[in-house]
Amino acid sequence: MGNFKLTSVEEFEAATNRLLETGAKVGADAWQLRVKNQTPHCKFGEQGVCCRICSMGPCRITPKAPRGICGCDVHGIVGRNFLRFTAGGSATHSDHGREICHTLHTVSPDGNYKVKDPEKLIRIAKEWGVETEGKDIYDLAHEMSELALLEYGKPFGTQRFLKRAPKHTQELWAKAEIEPRAIDREVATALHMTHMGCSSKPEALIRQSLRCGLSDGWGGSMCGTEFSDVMFGTPKPVDTEANLGVMKEDYVNIIVHGHDPSLSEMICDYCEDPEMIALAKSVGAKGINVAGVCCTSNEVAMRRGIPMAGNFLQQENVVLTGACEAIVVDVQCIFPALGPLSKCFHTKFITTSPIAQMPDSDFIQFNAETAGENAKLIVRTAVENFKNRKPELVHIPQLKQKATVGYSVEAIVKTLDKVTNSQVDETGTTKPLIECITSGVLRGAVAMVGCNNPRVRPDSAHIELMKKLIANDIIVVLSGCSAQAAARAGLMDKDAKELCGAGLKRVCELADIPPVLHMGSCVDISRMLILASELAKDSGLNISQLPLVGCAPEWMSEKAVSIGNYVVSTGIDTFLGVEPQVTGSSEVVGLLTDGIRDWVEAAYTVEKDIDKLGDLMIQRIEEKRAALGI
Amino acid sequence: MTLFDVVFSGNDTVYGLTESAINDAIAKYGADKAVAFPDTAYSLPCYYAVTGTKVGNLGELKEALGVVKTLMTREQKLNDAFMSGVATALCAEFIEVLKYIDGAAPYEAPCYGHLGDPVIRELGVPLVTGDIPGVAVILGAAPTAEEGVALVKSYQAQGILVTLVGGIIDQCEELGYKTGANVRVIPLGKEVTSVIHAVSVAIRAALIFGNIKPGDAAGLMDYTMKRVPAFVNAFAPLDAVIVACGAGAIALGFPVITNEETFKVPKSLIVQKDVSKFNATSLEARDIKIKITNIDIPVAFASAFEGEIIRRGDMQVEFDGSRVDCFELVTTKDMAEVEDHKIEVIGPDLDGFEVGTKHSIAYVVEVAGKRMQSDFEPVIERKFHSYLNCVEGMMHTGQRDMIRIRVSKETFNAGFRLKHLGEVLYAKVKSEFAAVVDKCQVMIYTDDAMCTKLRHELATPVFDKRDERLDTLTDEGVDVYYSCIMCQAFSPSHVCVVTPERLGLCGAVSWLDAKATNELDPQGPCQVITKERVIDERIGEYEDVNEAVKKFSQGALEDVSLYSIIEKPMTSCGCFECICGIEPLSNGVCIANREYAGMTPIGMTFPELASMTGGGVQTPGFMGHGKHFISSKKFMKAEGGVKRIVWMPKELKEQVAERLNATAKELYGIDNFTDMIGDETVAEDPETLLAFLEEKGHPALSMEPMM
Repeated sequence: MGNFKLTSVEEFEAATNRLLETGAKVGADAWQLRVKNQTPHCKFGEQGVCCRICSMGPCRITPKAPRGICGCDVHGIVGRNFLRFTAGGSATHSDHGREICHTLHTVSPDGNYKVKDPEKLIRIAKEWGVETEGKDIYDLAHEMSELALLEYGKPFGTQRFLKRAPKHTQELWAKAEIEPRAIDREVATALHMTHMGCSSKPEALIRQSLRCGLSDGWGGSMCGTEFSDVMFGTPKPVDTEANLGVMKEDYVNIIVHGHDPSLSEMICDYCEDPEMIALAKSVGAKGINVAGVCCTSNEVAMRRGIPMAGNFLQQENVVLTGACEAIVVDVQCIFPALGPLSKCFHTKFITTSPIAQMPDSDFIQFNAETAGENAKLIVRTAVENFKNRKPELVHIPQLKQKATVGYSVEAIVKTLDKVTNSQVDETGTTKPLIECITSGVLRGAVAMVGCNNPRVRPDSAHIELMKKLIANDIIVVLSGCSAQAAARAGLMDKDAKELCGAGLKRVCELADIPPVLHMGSCVDISRMLILASELAKDSGLNISQLPLVGCAPEWMSEKAVSIGNYVVSTGIDTFLGVEPQVTGSSEVVGLLTDGIRDWVEAAYTVEKDIDKLGDLMIQRIEEKRAALGI
Repeated sequence: MTLFDVVFSGNDTVYGLTESAINDAIAKYGADKAVAFPDTAYSLPCYYAVTGTKVGNLGELKEALGVVKTLMTREQKLNDAFMSGVATALCAEFIEVLKYIDGAAPYEAPCYGHLGDPVIRELGVPLVTGDIPGVAVILGAAPTAEEGVALVKSYQAQGILVTLVGGIIDQCEELGYKTGANVRVIPLGKEVTSVIHAVSVAIRAALIFGNIKPGDAAGLMDYTMKRVPAFVNAFAPLDAVIVACGAGAIALGFPVITNEETFKVPKSLIVQKDVSKFNATSLEARDIKIKITNIDIPVAFASAFEGEIIRRGDMQVEFDGSRVDCFELVTTKDMAEVEDHKIEVIGPDLDGFEVGTKHSIAYVVEVAGKRMQSDFEPVIERKFHSYLNCVEGMMHTGQRDMIRIRVSKETFNAGFRLKHLGEVLYAKVKSEFAAVVDKCQVMIYTDDAMCTKLRHELATPVFDKRDERLDTLTDEGVDVYYSCIMCQAFSPSHVCVVTPERLGLCGAVSWLDAKATNELDPQGPCQVITKERVIDERIGEYEDVNEAVKKFSQGALEDVSLYSIIEKPMTSCGCFECICGIEPLSNGVCIANREYAGMTPIGMTFPELASMTGGGVQTPGFMGHGKHFISSKKFMKAEGGVKRIVWMPKELKEQVAERLNATAKELYGIDNFTDMIGDETVAEDPETLLAFLEEKGHPALSMEPMM
């Protein structure tokens, strides 16, 4: 058992407070201060009852003014806002996936990007009916890239990956008319439907919200995940560390932040470059230390064991350590605040994508074709900046935990193979996990995902829920900032099995896993869809019958809403700790929390009391067990 | 019904039975009536281990049942199922102990029922060394007797200890299959509750070897799961009671393999419909690896046959070194002189002898290797005893020129001949000593004249030379000692420091053995310990030794002395051949050996002494050690040496007399010192012993007080 101890949220906060003191010294702004300035939030916005879609308005609905100028009622307005929110998220995830497909188009045996998992590429090609026999793997990659890009705009048909779902799920989608067509089309349709004078019927708007979400989960995000694996390798269990203590005082610290592994993979490569290391030594550093923030961190941790400095609301903290030579970002979830903040320190804030351009940053555009040169320039810039560090401002909180990460579906199945008995079991399935669940050793599984949100004490909901679930023999799979919260707390240390109920503890011991499994970044929630599908196929049950729920206790982004919609649409009940901005419409709330169950056999549950949220999940899991008689 | 509901219902049934059995017993005998299992210092072992409370009478047993009830929680969680499984096991223990009231012998052959502590201690060493690679608990009746016996036989052939409960016992009897502790197939009892006697062995192993504190239930389960390679084979039909027992087994880490269609849990509850695959399924489930050395002989080769006895009537032929010239020898040759795998028989083979006759034999194993040293010869040679005994239908005793070998008629009829004896020696030496033996050939002589000649001209001079070498090997005469942690699989914090004059406490690892082991596997269990920085010569304490002990015990031990029983004594794993303890009245020490079942003047039996001394903990005043150490000049040197010995069991005294007397003569000029030492025929209490010692003028009486 040794000296294993979780890091508490209080310890997180003490470290943050210490960093904020440095911030105060240099006159830096911080999200904690901005939250105060923005409180109370606009009630109309919170309820989703404000319509800004045409310039007759803005219109906002009150008891005295129950309709907008065009005559749209509150349900139409809330529904439209919800669909637009979804479309924003779906477009964002899917565009990330598109970038990956484009990068796949550049792979070559001696290029910046290569095919690291040819087996997986061939597997997907066969799934798509592409001839692989006798084909050069790079030719195949280019062909697959073009086919994948067509998924974004094909004129006819639905998403190819839908075939991965159990038959029953596919039938539900067809019946509900929510099978996603071309990825971009679902976004365009969403925007079209919500234009002035189009849809105002909540049922139609929510149906499209689900479809637009599905085009993300089973389309764009899945392309992003699958082809990232092809190029950068399918994750397998790897040990790493998490929290700010992974930054090293006498090293050049480069923080990668954002989402797209194309950039971060290349930066990591160049940080290992002997020329760059020599350069770092020449400026007085011991070497170069890369660490991650947000989902980029998840990507490189899963594939390379690069340490995780922090999640979404830690992004300012890495700069506040005074020991960050460069924070290199690509797209999504990047605070524009990093620009002014970096100016208070020696830190270089390096933006790289035309998608995410910000004031007060050094823009070094990153192209797949010139990725190597770009990355080298970025690393060089960071290293040369080491000498500008202000020693009096340096303080790295010495908090970190060990974590084992890298549980792709492939890795999970491999891990499960290890507990099979070759005399009776087949390998390559999820059946051992199903046996643990049907026997009651595990009560069920929760997929916990999502962001941080200052509306919730940061990380506390993630961590407290996980502790509660694992103590109740419920295994937890994680992605995104939820995964980093777990890693920073120590829940991904295999010793965390001591916090589990007897059932999960035994499973952890036999399979040699931590009780919460890191499945990747936010696009990697597509992995969870595949896992749920495999569990359903291997058990002969429908996904909605499995004692399995989704949870986003601290969500904040449009992407999270898109994710929620595709998770629910896949038949997985989803529990939210932050209210979506729909409370102004009883009809929309009714649909999301109940009505859609008729279409997809699952719905949302919203509960802001986190402890109750945990109880509700456990209750739902036990209900599903009772229905199966297990 | 969920799996857990089945467990709960089985648990409730057994609890109900236990409650009424205890009530009936109290009604019959009264609450003060003593209850205990025979030959154990841990009564009741399972309950004591789980709760830390001993139970001595029926009243306490009833109280204990109240505690058991608190384990029987009914949430749908594995913890509740595990605890209910444990509760079921404890109830079974209570039911079983009631059978032993008034010293009753409730079990009759072939069933054993409760197994005493000595059995566990005996099993300890082979479990540690992997000679017993696993423990099978077979429960219920196989679909047919033939399938049941085939399963038992398959485990036995792998050296696995087999325990039987229920119908399988009848099936073995039905087919006349030989069972018994000596062939490692132990029928426990025909009722399901007798399965507790197997559990009790695993649990006492944790207390004896693992230093698990009674009451540390979590530590206990961790120990049994990680270190006791047991598993259960439960035949259909499974009733709720068996499932509840199964939950207890799984809680301890023992997978259950069954042929009944039921819930499945990976690595824990495995459904195998094909009984012929139970063996393979079980070994894989418990991660048991059988060391396979494919030896080309017509009969089985397995450690299970080590204890097999061949009676005169079953004997085809005998070789007896006490009557005619016989010997076994390993000798080192140049590489060019040895032809690998050559086996030559000189003289008549087994079929040239009449049935039941006695003959000479000599077999010389000639080895060559770049890293071979003559010091390793006796180490290899000492293993022949175990190698040859593993042959089905072959019995080997003694060593050097005092060997005796019997070959059974059955084995002879199976086609076994002397070249097969050569095959066994060749295969084992090559596989176990691969690091030092590159080439090996075996010469077997049965020609009487050759045997006589070789014995006098080849063997005796070698043996004499070795003895000389052994005598000159002193602690002062060598530069390094060795650590030995072979037992750490069982006793995680114990470390032996092996010196020329102090062999490992199990009696199996001398300094030369340790040296060879280190040579064979430099990263292995025996590591070099330097002895350069002496702290206290008198008690034999060295800084380097302390550092090594601290390192190899993972910090559990800070310092040890080599020559004192009172100051920082060396720890014991639990495998000790003997235990030595202070007897205050006579100012000396008593020694008891493992085989001795009676009382000692210290007021404790061997098992009771052992329970204080094992588990890798320093217990001043008590020390585990090997038999050979008794005659060492370093035996309790700090406290005055061997003249402190005041009592030993008679049999042990006879075994060590010659060498001990020589040591006493050399050190103190005392003749026939062992005559002054008491034994169980003289005294089993301190007062009578003291009178005897005074009469004999035992030197301990006039020595400085020990405490």
